[in-house]
This record gives sequence, C-alpha cells and structure tokens, in this order.
Amino acid sequence: MRKAMVLFASLFAATAWAAGSEDDVPGYILHHVVDSPYLEIEVPLGNPIKALEFPQWHVPLKANGCAPRMTEHGEEIPGLMDGCLDMSITKHTLMMWLAALLLMATLFIWGNRDKTKLVPRGAGANILEMLVLFVRDELAIKNIGKEEGPRYVPFLLTVFFFILFMNMLGMIPWMATATGNLAVTMALALCTFVITQVAGIRAAGLGGYLKHLTGGVAPWLWPIMIPVEVLGLFTKPFALTMRLFANMLAGHIVFFFLLGLIFLLGHPAVAAVSVPFAFAIFMLELFVAFVQAYVFAMLSALFIGMSVAMGHHHDDHGHDHPEAGPSHDQGKAHHA
Amino acid sequence: MFLPSVLAASNLVKVQPGLIFWTLVTFVISAVVLKWKAWGPILSLVEEREKQIASSIESAKRERAEAEKLLADQKTAIAEARREAAEMMRRNTQEMEKFREELMAKSRKEAEELKLSARREIDEQKAKAIAEVRSMAVDLAMEVAGKLISERMDDSKQRALAEQFVQGLPLNGTSATGAVRRTA
Repeated sequence: MRKAMVLFASLFAATAWAAGSEDDVPGYILHHVVDSPYLEIEVPLGNPIKALEFPQWHVPLKANGCAPRMTEHGEEIPGLMDGCLDMSITKHTLMMWLAALLLMATLFIWGNRDKTKLVPRGAGANILEMLVLFVRDELAIKNIGKEEGPRYVPFLLTVFFFILFMNMLGMIPWMATATGNLAVTMALALCTFVITQVAGIRAAGLGGYLKHLTGGVAPWLWPIMIPVEVLGLFTKPFALTMRLFANMLAGHIVFFFLLGLIFLLGHPAVAAVSVPFAFAIFMLELFVAFVQAYVFAMLSALFIGMSVAMGHHHDDHGHDHPEAGPSHDQGKAHHA
Repeated sequence: MFLPSVLAASNLVKVQPGLIFWTLVTFVISAVVLKWKAWGPILSLVEEREKQIASSIESAKRERAEAEKLLADQKTAIAEARREAAEMMRRNTQEMEKFREELMAKSRKEAEELKLSARREIDEQKAKAIAEVRSMAVDLAMEVAGKLISERMDDSKQRALAEQFVQGLPLNGTSATGAVRRTA
C-alpha cells in the first residue's frame, strides 16, 4: 500500500508539474474532480491523453431545444431549463458502471459458493459474509426492527456495496469518484427517499401516512404543520446527498491540494512535508470510503425505521434513535 | 489566475439530470440483479446456517439435559441397588441368625423333651420294675416262708407279715437284694 501510495503521489505530482506550466493548481484539481464528457489519462511528465470521448446524447424537450446557442463563453448547448435534457455518458457514469460491474463480479465470485456447505471458506467469502451480516444485524434489524428489517436488507446491502465500490474506485489512480458528483448522490438519496415513503405507506397505510404528514395536531394548525412535515421529508434525502458528495469531494480536493502545495510554493522541498500529509489523507480517504458507505446505509436504515415506526407507534424500534450520532461526528471530523 | 478555477467550481455543484437518470438505472438494475443472484442466496444460506446452529445448540442442550437425567437416574439406581443389597444382606444375616437361634432352641427343646420323656419312661419302667420286683419278692418270700413255716400261719397272717417285710425294704432299691437287681 505504501508503494502504491508513493507511485500515486509521484504520478500526480508529475502530472501537476506538467500542468503547473500554466500555474493553475486549483484549476487542475477542480478539473480532475468534476465530471467531464471524456476520459482523460494523465501521463507523468506529459499532457493528459483524452483516451475516450463519450457519445453526446441530448434529448430536446421542445422543438429545437438542443440547438447550440452563442453565449459569452462561446457556443453552448442549452441546459434543462432551456428545454434540453443532457443524457450523455460521462466520466462519472463510466466509473459508476465500472463500480457496478466490479461489484457484481465480486459477488458472483465470492457470493456463489457451494450451497451445501453452510460455512464460508476463504478470505473473500468470509469478508463478504461478515459485511452482509453486519448490514443485516447492525443496520437493518437494529434500526428497522426484527419483523420489518429483513425486507429492506437487500436494498441496504446494494446501497452499502454500490457506494463502497464507487468510493474505492475513486482511490485508484486514473479513476474518478462517482460519489463525488452531486447528481449521483442525489439519485442514490432519491432511491432511499422512495423506499422510505413506500415503507411508511406499507406500515401505516395511505391514510395513516397522510395523517402523519399533518403532525397529529388540530386541523387549524395544518397550514403550518403540513409544510413543516413535507419539508422534513425532503431534508433527510438532502442531508444524505450533501454528506456523501461533500465528504468524497473534500477528501480528494484536500489530497490534491497537499500535493499542489509543492507547485504553489514553488520549491521541491515542500514535498518532504506535503507527500507524507497527502499519504495520511489517502489512508484517511480509504477509511472514509467505508465510513461514508456505512453512514449512507445506516441513515437509510434509520429513515426507513422511522417511517416504519410511524405505522405502529407502540413498537419501540427505530424512532427513538436520534438522527445525530456517530455519523455526524465522523462527517465533521472528516471536514475538519 | 483564480478566475477559471471559480468557473470550474461552479461545475462542482452543477447537477446533471442525465447522470441522475443513469445512476437510478444503474442502481435499480444492480439492486435487482444482486437481489436475485447474490443477496438472496447469501442471506438464505446465512439464515439456514443460523437456524442450524440454533437447532444444534438446542439439541445439544436437550441431549445434555437428557444425559444428565440418565446419569442421575443411573446413580440413584445404583445407590438403590446397593442399598437393597445391603438391606438384603442385613436381612439375610438377621434371618440366618434367627433361624439358627430358632433351630438351636428347637433342638434344645427337643433334646429337653427327649430327656424328659426318657426320664419319665425310666421312672415308669423303674416304678413298674419295682412293683414287679415287689410282687415277685412277696411271692418269693411267701413261697420261702411257706416252705419254712408250712402250716403255722394262715394265709392272711403270712401275707401281712410279708407285706410288712416288703415295706421295710428300701424304696429306690440301691441296697436291694440280688433278686431285685435281676428283675430291673
């Protein structure tokens, strides 16, 4: 791992050196972390190669909606507000698909073991089963409850592993972090949101679900209560979206800035400090990759648990967990 | 120098609707495929194993309790048997002792009875013999006396005299005459 790190650092240092000729370290970093319609492969001591240019797919929502227009930045394809839906495959889309394929491959290799033997053999199968059991026992059953919990285990497992694989893919040189993209985390949070609402309607019935939106107060207070409750529904997925996005993005930016200090300060001796620091951040990022996958799955389970609990208020599972807790602390610690 | 950076930073929070769509599609496909191919089998396997472990523990507990019960039963049975054997032994000895004592008493009694009847017989025989001897002695004496003093005395006077003589004889016959001893 140390060797990989040194290789990684030197690769990016060299690339940054090449980019440094334009003396725009922040620009280089932001260019690296944001999505792009092409896949670039950075070459040490050279200019990045555009390895793959993805096909553009613009869906006009109104007649001639996607015709390029002239703006002050040059010719641009109008956005969604102007009636053009951009469905193009991008770098992050590719990374996401790669992560999904890797995840499926991993699970087919280590998940499809001999069905007659109940005990897993080998490190891969054991680690996989440990994580699966962790998600089932510590996330689903603890937060949702013994009866309803197992129903949501496959969803939580998919969330956990999908995010984990996207996070980890971003730690590999030349790859990108799809979870550092707002659209990706938003879509994932949307999945959790939909599942949460479905769980609430399943548990309480549509009437109970709607009644819960009134907050159980007198009808004349409804005009105040309903907006508050509806707002409360959307703050949860919003928090999920921002937490994952900001954590993944911030880690990468910090890592690159530490390496970029060498060029910002303009002296090779800075590397003696910034490379070890960058190494430490890289290690922290590996940890954060797990933590954020865990936090996302945990909060999803928590929200589902709260939603299920409103169906039967007399049960004591789920709804007495405060939404704060270790997850927030970890998030803050990471930002700091 | 920072202007292009700030422009790029605005890209950071730009939400691409296409990417949301692709993420949803990818996530749903992954979830369905994994549920079908991975989570389902793994979870059912795990559950089966948990059930098996639970039932194994349960049956082990049950068997252990059973074995303990059996062992306790065996122990009590052995103790019972031992106690019974000791009891039997004790009773046997007691019975033997009693039987022996009874036997002894019986034999002693029998011997006693035998002795008594023998003595009675002896006494009877002795009395009979003595009576016989007496009568014989009387006859003898009468014969002798008759021969000696044939006509002098009448029969009844002689007889009374002889009776008197015989009365004077010792009863047990230890110092009896040879005639007495012979008849005995």
